[in-house]
Amino acid sequence: FLSSQNGVHLILGVFLRARLHVPFSGSRSRTWLRPWTCLSLGSPVSPGPLVRALSSQSGGPGLNVFDRQMKRRQREWAAAQSDAAQFEYIREEVRKYHILTFPLALDLGCGRSFIAEHLTTKRLRHSEISSRCILADEEFLPFKDDTFDLVLSSMSLHWVNDLPGALRQVWRVLKPDGAFIAALPGGDSLYELRCSLQLAQTEREGGFSPHVSPLTAVTDLGNLLGRAGFTLLTVDTDELQVHYPGFMELLTDLKGMGESNCAWNRRLLLHRDTILATAAVYKEMYGNPDGSIPATFDLLFMIGWKPHDSQAKPAKRGSATVSFGDLSKISPPKTS
Amino acid sequence: MSGSNVWSRTREKLQRFPELFAECSFEAAAYGKCVAATTTSKQEIKKDLCAKEFEALKTCFTNAAKKRCK
Repeated sequence: FLSSQNGVHLILGVFLRARLHVPFSGSRSRTWLRPWTCLSLGSPVSPGPLVRALSSQSGGPGLNVFDRQMKRRQREWAAAQSDAAQFEYIREEVRKYHILTFPLALDLGCGRSFIAEHLTTKRLRHSEISSRCILADEEFLPFKDDTFDLVLSSMSLHWVNDLPGALRQVWRVLKPDGAFIAALPGGDSLYELRCSLQLAQTEREGGFSPHVSPLTAVTDLGNLLGRAGFTLLTVDTDELQVHYPGFMELLTDLKGMGESNCAWNRRLLLHRDTILATAAVYKEMYGNPDGSIPATFDLLFMIGWKPHDSQAKPAKRGSATVSFGDLSKISPPKTS
Repeated sequence: MSGSNVWSRTREKLQRFPELFAECSFEAAAYGKCVAATTTSKQEIKKDLCAKEFEALKTCFTNAAKKRCK
């Protein structure tokens, strides 16, 4: 529900490319894409606060994994394509899981404003909520402390160099009792692609290099959010499997989504023999009976809240009034 | 970049990959099985372990490409 008094004002900010209004192109049919979710969504994810991180150009150790300039160029290229709308099914699927009731919100890495449009009843790319778009970097949040009631991020935090720093920045710009909701692809995403590439490249070239960027494991999320200062954490995972006709179509779609690899340590060339070998291995190891291949997106959802006195605190040690031993004495309720 | 250049020509060639690959599904399956077998057996994957199967696949692929060109 929307708050009755102020409506919802959403600032669409902090995304790496300009907001475009591109009409749907109907020329290529999408019948060969059949996304389906394996599990239903559990509890909503707590957003974690985004903390302003300093992105370094020349690597601080461990903090400079991704070439952010490259990522910006990739995303701008993807948005400028005339058929950009076809590649956005993952983002569309993920944004269905965000539910908001806050006066002032920030959408990080909003791409083409997926979350904002979901807040309205109509499903349009154009958002009816008053919003402003800011072109900025996710690792530098140009806002004062305690500005937002809510910070959202959908499918963009996996390209951030200093994730703990970014989370701390979000925490900073959140008001006390503000929420951070985020979704990002996690550790097992695209494992089929990763394994096929590894095997094929080892067989063809004698070694392999990382092609899929490093992704957060679900077990690390709790620590990350806790260290950034969030409380009342909720972390959930969901698996989205999309079927593609073949290996090249998967790569084309990833590129169209703006998700091409931009890690500094990526190899810039993929040998054509390796491409052929990977396509064969992928199809043989993971292919479906009807000839299509699956690609798994392991989505991690998280919610975190900035501490506030009104929030429930864990009970003090020793304040229990019943014992666990009494559990056996509870009889099941009589069904009439 | 406008007009025909090495990038647009390469991209066009790559776009034909799926249809050419579809013509060699038998060889592709043979190669894929050879590589996949290393994940279950004790044999570790090494360079050119399945070179024979790959050569068959590559020959089929280049033949398909030549046929389409004509």
